[in-house]
Amino acid sequence: MNLSVLIFKIFIFPGFLFLLVTALFLHWLDRKLIARFHGRVGPPWYQPLADLVKLFAKEDILPSGTNLIFAALLPLISFASVLTASFYLPIAIQSTPSFQGDFIVLMFLLSMPSLMYFLAGWVTQGVYSVIGGNRSLLQYFSYEVLFLLAMSGTAIASGSWSLADIRLAQLKEGPFIFPQVVGFLLSLAGLIGKLKREPYDIPKAKSEVIAGALTEFSGKKLALWYLTIQLQTVVGLSFLIHCFFSGFWQMNTIGGFFIFFLLLVILQGILSAISAIYARLRIDQLIHLNWNIFIPLTLLHNIYILLI
Amino acid sequence: MNNILLKIRSYFYLLPNIVEALFSKPETIDYPAVTHRLSESYRGSVRIIAENCVGCGLCVRDCPAAALTLEKDSKHSFRLIHYRDQCTSCGQCELSCKFDSIYLNNTYQKASANRKDFFEVLVDKTMKK
Amino acid sequence: MSKITVPIGPQHPLLKEPLSFLVSLEGEKVMDSTLRLGYVHRGIEKLAEQRTYIQNVYLIERICGICSHIHSTTYCQSVEALLNLEVPKRGLYIRMLLCELERVHSHLLWLGVLAKNIGLNTLFMYAWRDREIVLKIMEEISGGRVSHAVNIIGGVRVDLNDKHLSLLHKGLQELKKRIEEILRSIENDRGFQARTRNIGQLSLEEIKRYCVVGPVARASGLDIDIRRDAPYAAYDELSFEVPLMTEGDVWARSVLRILETIQAIRLCTQIINNLPDGSISVPAPRRVPAGEVVSRAEAPRGEVFYYMRSDGSQNPARLKIRTPTLTTLITLPGQLKNMQMADVSAVIAGVDLCIACGDR
Repeated sequence: MNLSVLIFKIFIFPGFLFLLVTALFLHWLDRKLIARFHGRVGPPWYQPLADLVKLFAKEDILPSGTNLIFAALLPLISFASVLTASFYLPIAIQSTPSFQGDFIVLMFLLSMPSLMYFLAGWVTQGVYSVIGGNRSLLQYFSYEVLFLLAMSGTAIASGSWSLADIRLAQLKEGPFIFPQVVGFLLSLAGLIGKLKREPYDIPKAKSEVIAGALTEFSGKKLALWYLTIQLQTVVGLSFLIHCFFSGFWQMNTIGGFFIFFLLLVILQGILSAISAIYARLRIDQLIHLNWNIFIPLTLLHNIYILLI
Repeated sequence: MNNILLKIRSYFYLLPNIVEALFSKPETIDYPAVTHRLSESYRGSVRIIAENCVGCGLCVRDCPAAALTLEKDSKHSFRLIHYRDQCTSCGQCELSCKFDSIYLNNTYQKASANRKDFFEVLVDKTMKK
Repeated sequence: MSKITVPIGPQHPLLKEPLSFLVSLEGEKVMDSTLRLGYVHRGIEKLAEQRTYIQNVYLIERICGICSHIHSTTYCQSVEALLNLEVPKRGLYIRMLLCELERVHSHLLWLGVLAKNIGLNTLFMYAWRDREIVLKIMEEISGGRVSHAVNIIGGVRVDLNDKHLSLLHKGLQELKKRIEEILRSIENDRGFQARTRNIGQLSLEEIKRYCVVGPVARASGLDIDIRRDAPYAAYDELSFEVPLMTEGDVWARSVLRILETIQAIRLCTQIINNLPDGSISVPAPRRVPAGEVVSRAEAPRGEVFYYMRSDGSQNPARLKIRTPTLTTLITLPGQLKNMQMADVSAVIAGVDLCIACGDR
């Protein structure tokens, strides 16, 4: 393909601009749904965009003694890793290059932002940042494992570690959601833990550690952090949809695109409802819930999938 | 049976409430597109019926915020001045007045960046020489 | 593990009012804490000596925003005792109505703050949505949502007509339904209980040693309530219950406050059903004869204690105020030992501090 088509595909659709618009739209949907659950009116549609524009205009100061190079590199690395992760996922029902093991590469790229979040707390050396960073590291060790194990059920059922093969297996046998409902719910729990949403938002609990590891950031760096978190939601949800629901559409069709978008909206609605119902868990309750209840369930579920 | 249902619901207790709130009218208003109406008994600005005022000074004496001042030249020549930035709209002047002249209505005043907007001459019964 | 000192400092999203609390952590466990007050000290007791008795009614109301009417009730009671005035029954009933409405308002506000600090934002929004009903009623009756200015020395200055009474009937019925729904949510929701059960327990001996009053004391088993033990303002003509619990943790305090709210609604219904006729105030002289008097009332947070001495002029000679928050503040460093950092917010929110009352 020639250069202009390539640039269009990378930057506009289904590349950078499309991802940005989807991330802002899902973020707005989240805030509007949670507001309606509370009985409030909620923000207008341009609110996430307005927040981003405002952040770009703010002053960018950090405490003295911070390593300025690292503080500037960390948001860039996390943003870049999430964008690279979206390269392998067919988010807009396009055909993507796929190879054996890209499942694991995708997992690794999606877990980079959590590591960078912890390092951000460490680099800025505030009291609240260090505590938030430590808590997020504990959460990272637990919920990444849960996410990986729960999603591996689909890889086991399709017999390979490649995203294209997972999709082909679903086209043959039907979407994986129906035999693997438990796995789907557990991977949703793992995704909530990765994204640090309520009820697992203890690293950035506003009433204890003001903003967690990102307390001292402001301006363009904070805008990049927020964009990373919102993009992580889009990429994580698309990953889930691809692995569990992929038998419902054909590639490169308009109908498939709409079904994919509808599934994104429904899953975001489920995430918002979970955020509204549950209270924030303490860090020891989080770890107990993960290692004593979720992981054994996932292992049993994977053994069951292996046997059938 | 009710007990078992309650036990199951306790894992996600607020779910029926949030579904009900999703489909009802929200409790907040979309200000400033929709305005809010004040009640009639709201204590707002200090107003005066100037004919009734005789300059006795009871309201000045009882105001807790020292927001009223009386400048008297002689028994029938005086000015009553109200400092609106000191006033807390408590309504004690309305209680103290024995001649039914000073009262509070339910309008509030807009903010202003100019200190002179808050200096109000309520009654001016000075005799011109 | 290293020691960190976390300032739950003068400004923090956890606190409603400024309070300096330095917590030293080791890992996630709290080792020690120090408390500093005085950020909202305005010198109200000294200011009260320089103003007349009539002007002080409005000054005393501004000690606290949530318990403003109770403070002015206690003040007016003490001046009326010095003047030997007998307030007519209708005035006393209207005073009690606003006291109980303020209790409902204060407890709903506190529940929202506790839920927000735990992370349950939905309960916060629901409690504050129900609080709007009470605020609308109070605005219709008195003219202000939070600062009512209803009391004068010698009675009250607003009267209830039929429109107010019908508004009250409808509002109280709606409120009763919603608060019972909130009570069921607190008793049954597992997330709320996981964050509040067995946290911040105070035993009965500690309560007695620190002289704690109010819902914190009643949640640990101490049965005191000024409205029943030393009735003021016609409380002896109404019937109500004083709830009591024995666990003493944050969950017991929550359930106790909601039960108190239900009793307060019951009291309001009795008041508007049995409102006597007559005048609402008697005229009061400006000079108060010399003497000293002690007056108490039951604020939403406990017992409020006023000592007033007058020397025959138009200004009080000495006014001493002891608010209930001071007693609960002293117990806080003891409660927070050996606790996790995440529970600090639940305890501080659960004990319902009103620092403006405490600092005066």
